[in-house]
Amino acid sequence: MNNEEDKKAFLQLIEDNMRIIFKISNSYCQNKNDREDLVQEIIYQLWKSAHSFNAAYKFSTWMYRIALNVAISFYRKEKKASAIIPFEYVVDIEDKPDENKQTEENINLLQKFISELKELDKALMILYLETRPYTEIAEILGITETNVATKISRIKNNLKEKFTTIKI
Amino acid sequence: MNTDELQSLWQAYDKKLEDSKFLNMQSWALNLQCFEDLQKQKAKSKLNKLAAIKIWMVVVGVIWVLLLLFLVVNSLIFSKIAFVVSVGMIALITTVGIVMYIKQVILIKQIDNNESITVVQEKLAALQSSTLNIPRILFLQTPFYCTWFFTPVWATSGDPAFWFIALPIALLFAYFSWWLYKNIHYKNMDKKWFKILFNSPEWTTVIKAKGFINEIEAFKKDKA
Repeated sequence: MNNEEDKKAFLQLIEDNMRIIFKISNSYCQNKNDREDLVQEIIYQLWKSAHSFNAAYKFSTWMYRIALNVAISFYRKEKKASAIIPFEYVVDIEDKPDENKQTEENINLLQKFISELKELDKALMILYLETRPYTEIAEILGITETNVATKISRIKNNLKEKFTTIKI
Repeated sequence: MNTDELQSLWQAYDKKLEDSKFLNMQSWALNLQCFEDLQKQKAKSKLNKLAAIKIWMVVVGVIWVLLLLFLVVNSLIFSKIAFVVSVGMIALITTVGIVMYIKQVILIKQIDNNESITVVQEKLAALQSSTLNIPRILFLQTPFYCTWFFTPVWATSGDPAFWFIALPIALLFAYFSWWLYKNIHYKNMDKKWFKILFNSPEWTTVIKAKGFINEIEAFKKDKA
């Protein structure tokens, strides 16, 4: 995996999945500099682990595993510094037409609530929101499908409550 | 907010990212030259650096133990019995510390981000929390640094300096080192003495790692 063609192919794969990498980084890091470091770290670790990718399995499973493992490890190291950054400094709320403003606000709230979850719950919820099947989520996290379903239901209810509370 | 709306909202967020400047900000990563620079910059990952530090500690530790053993072997006479026992015990405890460092290096080498999240995070947290056992063990050597110069002649001569200063100090160190061995535990992390002893960000991470292991265990259980 050292020739130019491999590198270009790898970068193309990264480009195709950049939004996922960014969403994971954004969920685990509120600090802009830390977030950029995390994006770099995920890309580097994906490249470093490229030899371990087995084409018989789904690329997404392999990528989520590595990206989430790197993000959780990174978050556990940087948590203290990130925690002091107020959320409003992180998310840019631009002037939008009224119909978009509500969606913008809800997106920001969802990001905020996700960022407040525990490390493993956060990983679980990202995978659910990415519409990954329960079997794949279970495989990525190393827990049972029943456990995935139970936990998702609990976290969804908590999020729903939070949204309701904030709208009252 | 309907729970199914969460996924729609996440998709809207995905769309927002697609259209936004955020991805452009990350476009450096997609440039081949920048990517090669990144590879060089990250060639020595933090875990590899950690392994290198621990391997270096093992080498220094082995040299230290060999030196101590050399001194022990060349002092095997009755008049130097306290020296032989003290230095021998320091060598033995240091060896236990070295074995613990070697175990950590093996654990670092076994960490593969390609495994499931709970497995990898459990290994990482175990690695961090096991670091706390090293000072715990190494504190046990301290009393032997107070006894290596004892001699049978000094002990039997009735010198008050031995009975009222040297021996009580050694016993005090023995008591404290044993007490620390029994009490250096993450369960005592909120105690004042513990915070004073392990007052640095590195130790805070190590101590909290044990809590994270418990969190992973709870996460793996089929309970809500």
